[in-house]
Amino acid sequence: MAWPPSPDELIVVDAPEPGGAGGLYRAFGETLRGLKTTFARVVEGPTTIQYPEEKVPVYPRFRGRHRLHRFEDTGLEKCVGCSLCAAACPADCIRVVAAENTPEHRVSAGERYAAVYEINLSRCIFCGYCEVACPFDAITMGHDYEMSDYNRSDLIFTKEMLLQEPFERTPLRAEGE
Amino acid sequence: MSTELDRPTGAPNAYREQEASIDLSARMHPIPAEAPEQELLTLNMGPHHPATHGVLRLLVTLEGEVVRDLKPIIGYVHTGIEKTAEDKSYWKAIPVMERMDYLAYYFNAMAYCGAVETLLDLEVPKRAQYLRVIHLELNRIMSHLVWLGTSALDLGAISMFWYCFRDREKILDLFEYSSGQRMHTRYIQVGGVIDDLPAGFDAKLRTFLDDMPTRVDQYLDLLNRNEIALQRLRNVCPLDEATLLSLGVTGPLLRAAGNPWDLRKAMPYSSYEDFEFAIPVGRKGDNYDRFAVRCAEMKESVRIIRQALDGLPEGPWITEDRKVALPPRHELATSMEALIHHFKLVTEGYRVPPGEVYYPIEGPRGEYAVFIRSDGSSKPARVHMRDPSFVNLQATAPMTKDAYIADLIATLAMLDPVLGGIDR
Ligand code: SF4
Ligand code: SF4
Repeated sequence: MAWPPSPDELIVVDAPEPGGAGGLYRAFGETLRGLKTTFARVVEGPTTIQYPEEKVPVYPRFRGRHRLHRFEDTGLEKCVGCSLCAAACPADCIRVVAAENTPEHRVSAGERYAAVYEINLSRCIFCGYCEVACPFDAITMGHDYEMSDYNRSDLIFTKEMLLQEPFERTPLRAEGE
Repeated sequence: MSTELDRPTGAPNAYREQEASIDLSARMHPIPAEAPEQELLTLNMGPHHPATHGVLRLLVTLEGEVVRDLKPIIGYVHTGIEKTAEDKSYWKAIPVMERMDYLAYYFNAMAYCGAVETLLDLEVPKRAQYLRVIHLELNRIMSHLVWLGTSALDLGAISMFWYCFRDREKILDLFEYSSGQRMHTRYIQVGGVIDDLPAGFDAKLRTFLDDMPTRVDQYLDLLNRNEIALQRLRNVCPLDEATLLSLGVTGPLLRAAGNPWDLRKAMPYSSYEDFEFAIPVGRKGDNYDRFAVRCAEMKESVRIIRQALDGLPEGPWITEDRKVALPPRHELATSMEALIHHFKLVTEGYRVPPGEVYYPIEGPRGEYAVFIRSDGSSKPARVHMRDPSFVNLQATAPMTKDAYIADLIATLAMLDPVLGGIDR
């Protein structure tokens, strides 16, 4: 591709001078033509959605509120407290304190488990890097986007809250829909 | 008023001295000596004013209804992103850098990732380049739609606002489909893009591409030859090419003045040389040309996306260089080596050879460019964004000199500043 561009690679925009006889015509003619656009929208019908009664379903890749996962068969937590998610987080909003599993007290499938696992959702930028970083699929981004609360301290989600099955609040679209 | 800025060197009071040298008067330029007919009035417009398109404060000196001088004051949404990025590894800085210009997140990410790739001397797979182009151009249309909606609102055409946001919604939906978030998608990564297109994206995008040119025509039906719009835009606040160039203005503002400078053609990046498209230019550099150039650009973007979608090559969507890109997920469970790579990349990140790079791309507002200085570690030593809104804002004063205050609003709208990008 050569520079400078040839004239046929350019579109020159232009418009008539306002006012005069043309202006008189345009004040009626062009306004009517514009109204065609406006009235055609009436036929199209409204596109608004009555949130919160109606909710837009999210796509499978949508990154909403995080979830921690357990193994379905054993009920053990998948998280082994390796802190990789905390290392990946650009907003520094994950806090993990790991502890050793003992035979009497086994929480996770690995050697260690997360004794404390907190995400400060008021800092989170929902980039999903924690999900990308976790090598054990222990944390994933859920589909919940309704997270507002009255207190900032209520937005610090603990491990118990993140492990809970969330309320089905947000509809999900199937892939390809 | 002193025009020379003395830069004190090294003295203990250097900062104070420099601070004292800043001119705090309300005027940018001295007002000519001939006595104004009316008393001059200095007025604050903004920072909280819907017509300033963000948190921008304009100190205007008015003579009656005529703007005699104007001084933009910025910094109300300063976020310190450039400094924050110095504290993150290259990978972790991507979502942070994206948040500068909140209407051009793909461009922010592209400029940043392009700069890192240049330093790393990294080859980006062809499919990734095409996927980037698709999303960049969608982002351009999206940004122009927000501009058109809000600018038309400033001119009094309220319905345009709803139409534009309806179509913008379709684009945000596509963004959510492919990358999981409507804004700040962190889709573009160093070495490629984070994921391939999901199933069904193609069809949805094609429906949008079929609709969009008709939509633009509908907008143009409403505004293009409308006598009120013409009266408000044609021959209003023009600025010639030479002044624009001397101010460093780029993008649609410069093209409206007749200079076809477009980095996509002048210095192609990310395979833009593969696509056929035209550059809309204006003749007069007035507000109408600024408006019409952007509208025509939306149609050209649709053309580019269609070509990129039709010609989308097969292959990987992120580089296979394991020193930079995270290993694919399925390998984590089976390969120890992949797991070690993964740990290393996430905790420390990759090291980037020392050097400096300036990587410019053509954004919806002009030249977005990221400057990075690397000292060889895994964190950038300095990151700087050349944001076009910031540079273009300087042109407000020469454009609106001796114009009516109503035209100042229209001109500011046609300038399309994004304050998140200006203040960073
Ligand atoms: S989504 Fe991003 S910001 Fe939020 S916790 Fe995960 S890594 Fe941190
Ligand atoms: S969620 Fe994953 S990355 Fe984070 S500490 Fe647990 S196992 Fe490690």
